Amino acid sequence: MLLSRFWYVVLALLLGAGFFLLNIASSMFNRAGQLSLAQGLASDVQVVSWYLRDDARQRAAQLIPFALDPDMAKNLQRSSDSDSRVPGDARAKLTEVLKRVSAQIPKELAFDSLFAVDQHGRVVASFGYQASSEDFELGGYPVVADALHGYVRDDTLVLDRPYRVVARPVEYDLAAAPAGAIVGARVVDDRFARELSQRTGAAIAFYAHGQRTAAAAPEGFTVANLDQIVGDLADLDQDKEYKEKGRSAVRVIGTLLSVQYTRLPGEAWQLGAGYAVARAPAAVSGPFGFFGKADDKDKKAGNLIIAILLVIVFGGAGIGFSVLEHTRPLRLFKTEVGKLAAGAIEQLTPSHFRGIYRKIASDLNDGVDAILAKGGGPRRGPADFKEVLGDLPDQPQMSAFSLPGDSAPGEPVSDPSSPSQPPRGLPNAPSRPMPGPPGGRRPRPSPQAPDVAPVGDATMPEGGLAAWGSGDPDEAEWRGVFNDFVALKQQCGEATDGFTYEKFEANLRKSRERLTQHHGAKRVKFSVYVKEGRAALKANPIKE
Amino acid sequence: MSAPPFPRVTAPGRAPRRGLAVLAVLALLAPAVAHAAKVRGRVEGFRNLLNPVWADARDPKAHGYSFREQVPTVRAEFRRLFPHAPKEICVAALAATPQKATPPVLVRVGGGRTTPVTLVAPPGTRLTFQNTDPFKHRLYGVGINTFQPADTQRGGSRDWSVPGPGTFEIRDELAPSLRMWVIGEPTVAAIAYPSMKGDFGLTVETPGDYVVQAFFAGKKVGPAIPVKVDLADVDLSKSPLKVGDEKAAAAADKAEAEKAKASDQAPKEGGAK
Repeated sequence: MLLSRFWYVVLALLLGAGFFLLNIASSMFNRAGQLSLAQGLASDVQVVSWYLRDDARQRAAQLIPFALDPDMAKNLQRSSDSDSRVPGDARAKLTEVLKRVSAQIPKELAFDSLFAVDQHGRVVASFGYQASSEDFELGGYPVVADALHGYVRDDTLVLDRPYRVVARPVEYDLAAAPAGAIVGARVVDDRFARELSQRTGAAIAFYAHGQRTAAAAPEGFTVANLDQIVGDLADLDQDKEYKEKGRSAVRVIGTLLSVQYTRLPGEAWQLGAGYAVARAPAAVSGPFGFFGKADDKDKKAGNLIIAILLVIVFGGAGIGFSVLEHTRPLRLFKTEVGKLAAGAIEQLTPSHFRGIYRKIASDLNDGVDAILAKGGGPRRGPADFKEVLGDLPDQPQMSAFSLPGDSAPGEPVSDPSSPSQPPRGLPNAPSRPMPGPPGGRRPRPSPQAPDVAPVGDATMPEGGLAAWGSGDPDEAEWRGVFNDFVALKQQCGEATDGFTYEKFEANLRKSRERLTQHHGAKRVKFSVYVKEGRAALKANPIKE
Repeated sequence: MSAPPFPRVTAPGRAPRRGLAVLAVLALLAPAVAHAAKVRGRVEGFRNLLNPVWADARDPKAHGYSFREQVPTVRAEFRRLFPHAPKEICVAALAATPQKATPPVLVRVGGGRTTPVTLVAPPGTRLTFQNTDPFKHRLYGVGINTFQPADTQRGGSRDWSVPGPGTFEIRDELAPSLRMWVIGEPTVAAIAYPSMKGDFGLTVETPGDYVVQAFFAGKKVGPAIPVKVDLADVDLSKSPLKVGDEKAAAAADKAEAEKAKASDQAPKEGGAK
């Protein structure tokens, strides 16, 4: 019982501690995840920003061969010198230069569109861009104006779609203003985003005019998730950091996406165009959220085998304790009570039980005895000789070899022929038969003396008194005591195999001699009783 | 040499009808045009002016670029962000009395700006904004109720009349660099745009006393020059219009250089840091 209770406490403590630890772990995981996410997003934004700047510089460097091409400078100067119109042959030659030089640019730095612009801002020649008319010009854009005034720089223009643009001047006469400018543009489309994502490892989406214009993400990140930024862009203007610094705080869209927005440098800044770097938030919804988040690698780290072994060991121990302390004692008690109910035993044997069951058995026996004592049922205990037969004489009134029917009337021995007077304490109801002698043989009453008291009959061997043979004056009494003792032992569940009268008589004789010498008694009377669930013998020296 | 007068409206979709209308106007004016006098002159110092759009864009605080560097082989005087005179400086001959509204004026919208950028016109003059870009624009007048933001698709046009005297600024919601200034001037009799060298020629139809005034970015620049126009052409080349002050420009350059030096110590990127 103690083990089981201890086990319940242990299990309860483990369960409570486990739940508590899981909650702490999920909270710590979420907090660490948020921190890691914010740092990761900031890092991604920084990397993307660096990449865009570096990419612009590298592309600007690719414009140098155009600017140094003599045909380019010469024909741009010719166009700039003409206020009214662009010379036709200048267009053709510049287009040829654009194609020739752009073919030498490394593929990863190639431009989608190239423009040769004269001092008036007119596009004299272009490559890779479908202009709407021959009067197409770019001179109003600051990036082109800067190039025409001697600067190399980048910009992000939002025309029909976003473009990353670089421009640099083309000089013909160093003493004069630049002859024109060469402008290179890279469309910010899915291809651009994909290249950027591959080189930076970031999930990125570009947006302009409240719409997503391009997106790409590394493997394992669903690009379609980036479409969710469209619904968030409307609220972006309320982000103070975004408005002032051009970079928003980390924003969580739904529960699937954490995003940080950054404005693109250039005209796109004023138009609210930019890019969003996204990551999937690393958070769990509760103690059991770990199961949903764990991948195969995490599950391997979970030591499933050890967990199963722990379940088996702890569960087995709990079941074992339960069987040991509950099931087995209960089953034993049930069996014994069943025997009692079936009449196989007269009373429960407390020594067979442990713990509370021993007390219950003892109490049950006491209760049954009390009921029987009140006449509520047959008495199951051994007969009290004194109660049954009255005061016994100091010396047996009959010879050890005399027959029960030989005793003369009027002697102090109770008349065995008067069974109509039941002994005190015995109920009027037919009592159960007394237990038989060892070996299960129940001595039958002699047909010659049917009125002899059952107690005397019970000790009588089948062969009659002729079978009795020690010749001790107390033998008759001792035989009765022996029978009572055997019966009581059986009731107490003690073994009686090999327990013979001869051994019993030898013990009684030794006890009688020792007691008579020690106490100066004339004789010793023996009786049986139950002591701590076991049959015991009580010696009573008589000095009369 | 000299820039043409008001550009005529020749929107592609309505060219025949509008062309006929313009021809009719010209026919009515034919006797006067026949006696029109040319006022030739020259604008000086326009390279000392500063295009406000480009000047704003070079400020790192505007986040207009991630890098912007000088090309050392370009001389410093050319690095100044002076305006493109043929589009941005408008020279007007102002009469002593109010003039009639002129025929419709075509304003081309494309390349990040309008052409012209500065326009002086009598109130009531109708302007037709034609989109020459392959994408839409969304023009609007700053603080002008009669010119609300509206899309002008590729090749499309949009009309607006000068509502009265004053300066009106036109912008584009989709192109921040696009800024146009329309000066409603009742006495304007003729306008012209100088060449890259600063030469201009005004066609004044009616003899009389005029003043020649240059306008830039919605404001008058330089002093006005009075001129008496008779039947003969007038040459003002000897007394050019000085629209920009060299000393002021040099001071501005110096301030700009110091500003650039200071910004070099800060992160150069115009975008997010």
